[in-house]
Amino acid sequence: MSLVSGLTGFKTLTKREILRFLRRPRNTFVPPFVTNVLYFAVFGVILGDRVGEISLADGDPVPYILFILPGLVVLGAISNAFENASFSIFHGRWNEYIEETLTSPMPYSRMVAAYIVAGATRGILVGSLIAVIGAFFTSVGVARPLYLLAFGLVVSLLFASFGVVVGLWADDWDNLTMMNQFIVRPLVFFGGVFYAVRELPSPYQELSFLNPMVYMVNGVRYGFLGVSEVDPVWSLAVLTGLTAAVAGLDVALFERGYGLTD
Amino acid sequence: MTAAIDVENLQKRYEDVRALDGVSLTVPEGSFFGLLGPNGAGKTTFINILVGLVRRTGGRAEVFGHDVEDDYRRARDAIGLAPQEFNVDRFFPIREVLQHKAGYHGIPESTAGERADEVLRRVGIYDKRDTRFDWLSGGMKRRFMLARALITDPDLLILDEPTAGVDVQLRHDLWDLITELNEGGTTILLTTHYIEEAERLCDEVAILDSGRLLTVATPEELMDRGPDRITVTLRDAPATVPDLPTLAAGEREGRIEAVELDGDKLVVTATRGGLVAPDLVRALDRAGHEIVDFDISRTSLEEVFVEMTREGGGDRTAEPVAADGGELP
Ligand SMILES: Nc1ncnc2c1ncn2[C@@H]1O[C@H](COP(=O)(O)OP(=O)(O)O)[C@@H](O)[C@H]1O
Ligand SMILES: [Mg+2]
Repeated sequence: MSLVSGLTGFKTLTKREILRFLRRPRNTFVPPFVTNVLYFAVFGVILGDRVGEISLADGDPVPYILFILPGLVVLGAISNAFENASFSIFHGRWNEYIEETLTSPMPYSRMVAAYIVAGATRGILVGSLIAVIGAFFTSVGVARPLYLLAFGLVVSLLFASFGVVVGLWADDWDNLTMMNQFIVRPLVFFGGVFYAVRELPSPYQELSFLNPMVYMVNGVRYGFLGVSEVDPVWSLAVLTGLTAAVAGLDVALFERGYGLTD
Repeated sequence: MTAAIDVENLQKRYEDVRALDGVSLTVPEGSFFGLLGPNGAGKTTFINILVGLVRRTGGRAEVFGHDVEDDYRRARDAIGLAPQEFNVDRFFPIREVLQHKAGYHGIPESTAGERADEVLRRVGIYDKRDTRFDWLSGGMKRRFMLARALITDPDLLILDEPTAGVDVQLRHDLWDLITELNEGGTTILLTTHYIEEAERLCDEVAILDSGRLLTVATPEELMDRGPDRITVTLRDAPATVPDLPTLAAGEREGRIEAVELDGDKLVVTATRGGLVAPDLVRALDRAGHEIVDFDISRTSLEEVFVEMTREGGGDRTAEPVAADGGELP
């Protein structure tokens, strides 16, 4: 009897989860590719010519296409991180093969870590893909690489963690689509992807700052452009705290067997 | 020696159903143990508590001395499970599924591939290693379930109705395989409602009905509990049942349940017929009857089983029978 003390289980499940989406690029990478080419063409090029430049709180005004790029990266990263974790867990429950993992001696925290890491990996890959697409439409630099990395990582981890909760909670496929379409997307669209929040009239401006997406979009924007509507350090701290809290909830739910055991 | 499985007063309630209602049971290490019971008796629930797919609502459950909840990692490390339903990862070819399962149990990647090949050969589906589970035939799916349970080289192999709906050939293959494993020291817990299977394979069987344990015994002991039929064919059929002292004594003492004459055949129904038969033959002989044929048929385990579970199962909750090899919802 060899008791598992190493990270073999975690590594295996992470690999399995990553291979699952890598081997299905038509389901995982092609859709965001197409959507974002359209976004950049329509919003960036056609609409952007009319909108002109956007002024942020500090620094020089930026062309519209450059302004929306970070938001599109965030949108792609979080929805893919979310979808990966929620889909994979729900599908495993639906077809019961999640039992292959559940009946193993892996600690619950490592199962959760694997789902989150794999989901975040997909988020970061799709986010990077979108940045590369953007680079074909406009010249984009990275003003603050470390901030970009940190925000990209934390938003992907946060939404993968959130996806775990939804994957456990859902009892139907509709639940998953519903969360993505009716909660994640609206928050992103009102989160300052396509317009500067500070240009909104009161009270919409104040209300917007209650939306966590505003901090995520602005954080990533700070990484690319070096300008932001909110304090990046503060945003990063809050988002990191939130991620830790949701990941902690994931582990607690696994330990309780929520959605997993009878 | 620690028992492979040790449960005490184990309980599981689902709202109004008592799936397990205070089961106490010990499965000795190295044994071949059968868990018998009609549909809905609680067999799968019992197994799922051991591997953590069902949370008990009361009692104690240990695998090799490790509590299945407090020390779940050690308990699960020892168990290989071939469940009743097909719960297999359909995204990957079966060889990879096995490698993943091995990895979850801490077997390093460097050896997981070899092990996968070995168990695939063992169950006879190595040729299909690059196929996904969905594309296997029903029999191959069952073989794969066993391969997956074996990939971690378990000390306790649990098989939940492994031969339900499989053809004779495969059933015998599976029997040979698990017998061999048991001879090599693996403890086996088998649930089934093919009683013949239990009779043939198990050292000991437990009969479960409506969440309660009715008995634990060897198949032999159980068969001894049921009546046997002794049929003696006589050359000259007597007009009435021969008046023999040994028959009268047997009936008085309750060993003999019935004596009937059917033409030239004398049929005696007795518990432990093997003990009654020699006296009967001697007495008939002494009384001048010539015996031309003689037969004892033992009660089958099946008859004992049906008898026992009929008594206890009045309030059994009907359970839809899972379609064999059925797709998951
Ligand atoms: N998830 C569940 N919810 C409610 N009742 C259940 C559930 N799982 C099993 N049961 C009930 O528990 C009893 C035992 O079921 P089970 O352990 O599957 O029996 P067996 O494997 O012996 O056929 C049955 O009455 C069944 O209907
Ligand atoms: Mg069952």
